[in-house]
Amino acid sequence: MAVDVSGATAASHEAPLERARRAAEAFGTVAVAGLLLLSFGLTSSVFLEPANLRNILVQITVVGVAAIGETLVLLVGGLDLSVGANVLLGSVVAGDLVQRHGAPLWVGIAGGVLASTGIGLLNGVLTAVIGIEAILATLGTFLLAGGIAKIVLHSSWIVVDDPFFGNLVRTHVFWQLPVMVIVLFALYAVAAAVMRMTPFGRAVYAIGGNPRAARIAGLPAVRIRIVAFALAGAFAGVAGLLQIGQLGIVSSGNAAGLEFQAITAALIGGLSVSAGGVGRVERTLLGALIVGMIANYQTIRGIPPNYQQALLGGILLLAILTDRLFRGRS
Amino acid sequence: MRSITKRFPGTVALDGVDLDVDGGTIHGLLGENGAGKSTLLKILAGDYRATEGSIEIAGEPVEIDSPRAAREHGIGIVYQELSLLPNLTVAQNISLGFEPSRLGRIASGRVSELAERALDAIGVATVDPERQVAELSLAERQLVEIARVLTIQRPRVIVFDEPTTALNHHDVLRLFTIMSRLRDDGVGVIFVSHRYREVLEICDVSTVLRNGRVVGRVERGEASLGRLVELTLGQKGETVFARRWRADGGGEVVASARGLSIGSRIHGIDLELRRGEIVSLCGLLGMGQTEVARALIGDGRDIDGSITIRGVAGVPRSPRSAVRLGAGLIPEDRQAEGLFPDMSVRANISISSLRRIVLSPLVRIISWARERRLVGEVGERTGIAARALPRPVRTLSGGNQQKSLLARWLLRRCDLLICIEPTRGVDVGAKVEIYRRLEDLACGGAAVLIVSTDLPEVLGLSDRIVVLYRGTVTAELDPRVASEQELLLAMQGGVEGEISGLLEPEAVS
Repeated sequence: MAVDVSGATAASHEAPLERARRAAEAFGTVAVAGLLLLSFGLTSSVFLEPANLRNILVQITVVGVAAIGETLVLLVGGLDLSVGANVLLGSVVAGDLVQRHGAPLWVGIAGGVLASTGIGLLNGVLTAVIGIEAILATLGTFLLAGGIAKIVLHSSWIVVDDPFFGNLVRTHVFWQLPVMVIVLFALYAVAAAVMRMTPFGRAVYAIGGNPRAARIAGLPAVRIRIVAFALAGAFAGVAGLLQIGQLGIVSSGNAAGLEFQAITAALIGGLSVSAGGVGRVERTLLGALIVGMIANYQTIRGIPPNYQQALLGGILLLAILTDRLFRGRS
Repeated sequence: MRSITKRFPGTVALDGVDLDVDGGTIHGLLGENGAGKSTLLKILAGDYRATEGSIEIAGEPVEIDSPRAAREHGIGIVYQELSLLPNLTVAQNISLGFEPSRLGRIASGRVSELAERALDAIGVATVDPERQVAELSLAERQLVEIARVLTIQRPRVIVFDEPTTALNHHDVLRLFTIMSRLRDDGVGVIFVSHRYREVLEICDVSTVLRNGRVVGRVERGEASLGRLVELTLGQKGETVFARRWRADGGGEVVASARGLSIGSRIHGIDLELRRGEIVSLCGLLGMGQTEVARALIGDGRDIDGSITIRGVAGVPRSPRSAVRLGAGLIPEDRQAEGLFPDMSVRANISISSLRRIVLSPLVRIISWARERRLVGEVGERTGIAARALPRPVRTLSGGNQQKSLLARWLLRRCDLLICIEPTRGVDVGAKVEIYRRLEDLACGGAAVLIVSTDLPEVLGLSDRIVVLYRGTVTAELDPRVASEQELLLAMQGGVEGEISGLLEPEAVS
């Protein structure tokens, strides 16, 4: 059989930009994380102390878990602005059930995760079935979820004293790492495996990469999109539970701006808002780590929190610009 | 236009072309795709500069170096792809770019006045200048486009670039009326078309291009379908096809359509596709062959009648339901609708067969080993180099990309493969290989439906050729005996000499 090699030879002459892009994709995030670790460690005496590093991990857990869902949605070609409000909703529903209604712990946990999953499901239906643009649909559900959470809270707060939540931070498994950090790593491991090794993961990449081709190839595009958004809701719910553990209290300001931190983490990790189907879930964890290290360093150096938001905005814009530079090829 | 030559790096698109268009005549400009028609028009429109040659209008040499210059010289072009802005009104569109202004502000009263005058000039009273273009039918939009072109000061040459492709019979007649009126006003009208019956009907004289040269200028009296077809195709060398004839027509019916109607394009056609055969669906651009293919794969609209695929009746609701019945589509635009550019070639091939590469129906985890083995097999059968498989598919050549799509449906073991323009943008070597694989597929028991405008391909590849003309099946040819001329004649609507009937009302509407 004649084997055509013309395609193969053509492929070996990749354009320099293409090669730079691939290299940036493969090592860029890791390099940035390493560089930050090094420079922060050299300029601060406490930064590299195990207690501080552990602290960073605890601080990024909530954002990190929510960012898994955000990553799924970005991969399938969408965007989820409702993540932050949805994290709040999950924690409010769980806290309300357990603390104010005396419901069993498992009911609280299930209730919180289900409420957030419901919002995610609604996102999926609005975008995939009705065809509303994700940015608009999830802006609506952002207000909806936040509104419901505040109604349930009655402009008050809930102190959650069930030891389950406290133990998420207090109980150490190994290397003095608390349970919630282990949960963070475990969820990333599972998500990364699912995206690589299941038909669902393949379909997500395909639909995000070229929705029309996915339709012609016979993939269940609508269903997969709905599932991706619903999973993003579920991850937000879990993040809400972890946040109860971290703070011990549920109040309306808890997850404010979290959606932007999650999006920033994903973009730094190499995902794209302009094109789905590219990027890796596990890189988002690196993105979250980078954001967490920067925030932590600022706190150590005594930079006021007011500056931190502006800096986060700057980082987000930088990530978007980098994305445009490398992916503006179409 | 005098001895126009246009060279592009590596090729000569036009080689000393003369085109003489007299005022007060309708001039047909004919030729296959790639013969040079569009290049010539672009030079006339000021989009391209000719490498050599000159353009004269009324005996005076003119320099056309921009679209604006063309406009000033009275040259207007009605393009096939409409350039109207859908969210503006008819009147705003007509004066777009040349808005009458008063003290720097657009004079909206004058805009409407201008539009009314322009529409009136082409005898159109049915289009309200204040309506939004988005609300108009395709035919109405074309009228607006024409009106817009005619707002130029002294129209001397008006070009209609394949204007009838999207129009129904009635609208074609209306367009001809407008063209005749322009001719009677002394304008030189150029009519570019692949529909030779229409050309014979309306044109006073026709120029035929082939491979960038003028191969004939035919006056009305001496023109016939046969003559135009002959000039267009010329004497062609033997084709690259080493035919293998498959068993004829005895196979089980894989897919059939009964009384299939699609929008205003297709009126109640019947079609049967059997195992082991390659069928081509032919027609001039816009005759609905693509729509039929899309209907079969569940990607159509306004479909009436019945479709049966592997015994299951009912028009497929989505490509997914058609794929589950065993159908597959290789679309005409593989970048837009075929490939997942950033995914590996391997993943592009296995994407429609994920069920086949999981560990078990219950444990839906992809077995990389099984994927590698199965994709490796179909990759070898389609001639994709093994080392290309892990690469992103966008880094492959067009031919290899097309083979990947073919491999996708081979892996899926589909029973009905529909290919639209299967070798567009594919190099010759890959072309031949794709033909072989399609033949293999048919020999292996699948039904293959080809929609192609490449006539040698159609004749060389198919077992049966179904010709569509004005919404119905008008001929079925046997490629063993049919020639390119006969095929093109059939696509033009039938037997030589029978050119009456075009102006009669359509039988089915």
